[in-house]
Amino acid sequence: MKKRYILLFSILFLNQIFSQEKYLAKDGYISFFSHSLVEDIKADNNQVLSIIDKETGEIAIQLLMRSFLFKKALMQQHFNESYVESHKYPKAKFKGYIINFKDLNKENSNTEIKGTLSIHGKEKEISTIAKVIIHEGEINISGDFMVEVADFNIKIPAIVRNNIAKIIKVTFEIKHKPYLK
Amino acid sequence: MKIKKFKILVGFLLLFGIGIFYLLNLYNKPLLNIKKSNADISISAQQLLDDYQKDETSSNKKYINNVIQVSGEISDIKVDNGNSVIILKDVNGQSSVMCHMSPEDNLNTLKLKKNDKIVVKGMCTGYLLDVIIVRCVLVNK
Repeated sequence: MKKRYILLFSILFLNQIFSQEKYLAKDGYISFFSHSLVEDIKADNNQVLSIIDKETGEIAIQLLMRSFLFKKALMQQHFNESYVESHKYPKAKFKGYIINFKDLNKENSNTEIKGTLSIHGKEKEISTIAKVIIHEGEINISGDFMVEVADFNIKIPAIVRNNIAKIIKVTFEIKHKPYLK
Repeated sequence: MKIKKFKILVGFLLLFGIGIFYLLNLYNKPLLNIKKSNADISISAQQLLDDYQKDETSSNKKYINNVIQVSGEISDIKVDNGNSVIILKDVNGQSSVMCHMSPEDNLNTLKLKKNDKIVVKGMCTGYLLDVIIVRCVLVNK
C-alpha cells in the first residue's frame, strides 16, 4: 500500500515538473545602434540566452558583453575596457514578464514586455512594445527600445562625446524552443 | 635663411602627415584575424568547461581576450540565418562548449558530422549555460 502511494506521488510530482513548460534560446540576437553626426556604430550579439516560462509569461535574458562584435577593433576595445567595463560586469541581464501572455496567438502578437534591465552594475525598470509570436512549438519575440547611456553610469570621455549617441537603440530577435532535458 | 625655414615647415608637415596616417590606421583597424593568428592557449573542450564550472571569475581572467584553440567531439551542429554553431560535448553533464563559426568557414562546417573530432580556434567571451566561443575557424590537424 505504501509503495503505491509513493508511486502515485512520484507520478504526480513528475507531472508537476513537466507542466512547467520552459522555452529556451541559446542563440538569440541582440544588437545596438548609435547614430551621431560623426559616425554610426553598430554591434551584434548572436549568443543571447533567454528563458520563457509558458505558464506565467515570465522571461529572463542574459548575455555576455564581450559577445558584442563591432566592425572596428578599437570600438570593441573601448566598449569593453572603458565604457561597460566587461572585466567587472561581464553580463547584462533582463528579468521581467510578457504582458497578457495567455491571450497571445498567431493573429494577436502585439504586446508589451516589462521588467528590470541590468547593465554595468546598474538596474533600471523598462517596458517596451514587442511582437511575441507563439507558433508551431516556438515562441519568437522581437522588437526594439531605447536606452539612455547615462542611466547605467557609463562614462563617455569628452573627446569622443560627439561620436557616441546619448540614447542607444537596442534591437532584439529571439527564437525560443521547448526546453528538453 | 628662407630655405631653412622652408625645411622646418616641410619637416613639420611630414610629421603631421605621419601622425594623421597613424591615427587613421589605428581607428580603422579591423578585428583581429583569427585565421592568421596563433592560438595563445590550447585546451580540450572538457577541460575548458571544468575550469569554468569550478571558478567562472578566474577562468574569465584566463581565457577572455585570448585566441584559444579547443579540441572536442561534436554533439550537434546548428545552422540559423547563415550562422553556424558547433556544439562540443560535455561528458559529465548538460553543458557544452558552443563554437559560433565565422561565416567564411560555413562551407567547411557543412561537411562535418556528429561525433567528429575537431579542433577550432576563436575568441572566448565567457560562460552563460555553456562556454561561448565566437568568430571560430576550423583548424586543420
